[in-house]
Amino acid sequence: MLSINGLTKRHGGRTVLADVTFRAEPGRVTGFLGPNAAGKSSTLRILLGLDRPTSGTALVGGRPYRSLREPLRTVGSMLGGSGAHRMHTARGHLRWVARSNGIPGARVTEVLERVGLADTGRTRVGRFSLGMRQRLGLATALLGEPAALVLDEPANGLDPEGIRWMRGLLRDHAAAGGTVLLSSHLMSEVAEVADDLVVIAAGRIMAGGPLSRITAGYATLEDAFFALIGAGR
Amino acid sequence: MNPTRVLSASRAASAEWRKIRTLPASWAGAAVALLGSLLITVLNAYAVHADPGAAAFTAPLEVAFAAMPLGTVGATVIGVTVFSSEYAGERQITTSLAAVPDRVLTLAAKAIVVALSIAAIAAVTMPLTIGTARLMIGETVNVREAITRCLGAALYWILSGLIGLAITVFTRSGVVPLVVLVVNSSVVSFSLLLSKISPLGFWMPDMAGRRLFGGVPATEGGLGTVPGALVMAGWTVLLLAAATAAFHRRDA
Repeated sequence: MLSINGLTKRHGGRTVLADVTFRAEPGRVTGFLGPNAAGKSSTLRILLGLDRPTSGTALVGGRPYRSLREPLRTVGSMLGGSGAHRMHTARGHLRWVARSNGIPGARVTEVLERVGLADTGRTRVGRFSLGMRQRLGLATALLGEPAALVLDEPANGLDPEGIRWMRGLLRDHAAAGGTVLLSSHLMSEVAEVADDLVVIAAGRIMAGGPLSRITAGYATLEDAFFALIGAGR
Repeated sequence: MNPTRVLSASRAASAEWRKIRTLPASWAGAAVALLGSLLITVLNAYAVHADPGAAAFTAPLEVAFAAMPLGTVGATVIGVTVFSSEYAGERQITTSLAAVPDRVLTLAAKAIVVALSIAAIAAVTMPLTIGTARLMIGETVNVREAITRCLGAALYWILSGLIGLAITVFTRSGVVPLVVLVVNSSVVSFSLLLSKISPLGFWMPDMAGRRLFGGVPATEGGLGTVPGALVMAGWTVLLLAAATAAFHRRDA
């Protein structure tokens, strides 16, 4: 569903991504794990057509994101926070997003209920807590009932209950045949939810495959992670 | 254009309209244009009314049009903030481009919404200020002349708003374009200063288009109404094209 092929990105003289290749398959949650500034966000931004790679391709169902006519019906995404202007209400924000992709207005109410923001009424996003912003970002991602979810650090700012709730949501999405790609630097979080794992450090893929295979021979994912990262240094 | 593209464009424009009407800055721009112009008109008309001997020199239309630069300021505020607001705080631009990844479409939708909003503001402001000046001063207004000059002034406002939009694409932040463009259209025109030392100044967008307001211009020389309007429109198209190219190519 999501395929990243030989992605390289240079900023001036600095190499942000070097030949990054992996896939995220339907029916599975793929965890994209790496330390801060490893290139997780850069990869996701290129996948979503926000940034351009120096070389390589990132495809959604075989097509570049930028060529999708109603992209939100195929891929729902969240890149850090709500992605909403602080003067909007949650509903106002979702309404313009829905309008841009021809998504019926009834979906706005549905996703607001789904993420637990139905009661925020006229409160503007600027007054939202970090957790509420994260929930609004997730509501935006779910709006078009997309087959794939691409989420950058979705657990940021969520309380333990929120994290548990989101884990269930992502598991349900994959169980229904959807594709989930989520980036994180929190190993315990990824270990709880992912089927497949892609480990990135300093812009290079260190390992990829089913979670069980990557952690084989190690007591925890954390041990496996540091062994993999250490091998690259 | 094929039908699906027209549909995408109308959806993008409708989404942009929902965004712009929530922005306090666009309401501030509208308020400056409408209430600011009205206030200046009332003050000037009162001065004329209080000194009837001078009435012959300041007809209602001239009094109303003396307030028109405030409309340019309001239009500029709208054009600039429609784009700069995308980069404020939690960077709405990410959501905007995830929803409409075609950047030409995104920018075109913004330009359409800016132009239509300014046209609507002009349609309310101009009859109101002219009507107020006429009521207070008591002299009649030549309707044909009034309509021609209003259309010209509305075009000037719209082009100013679009130039503000195009320039902000390059800066992302609205601060510099707002300060420069608002000072230029209200306090001192840099093009006017340039025109004192070089005829090049008359070819700058604001100087070229200034005869669109009609009446007797404060500064002699320069381009006529129609060639001037064409030069100003040419600048607008050029700046929007350059902005589109930059926006299309760069990382969000």
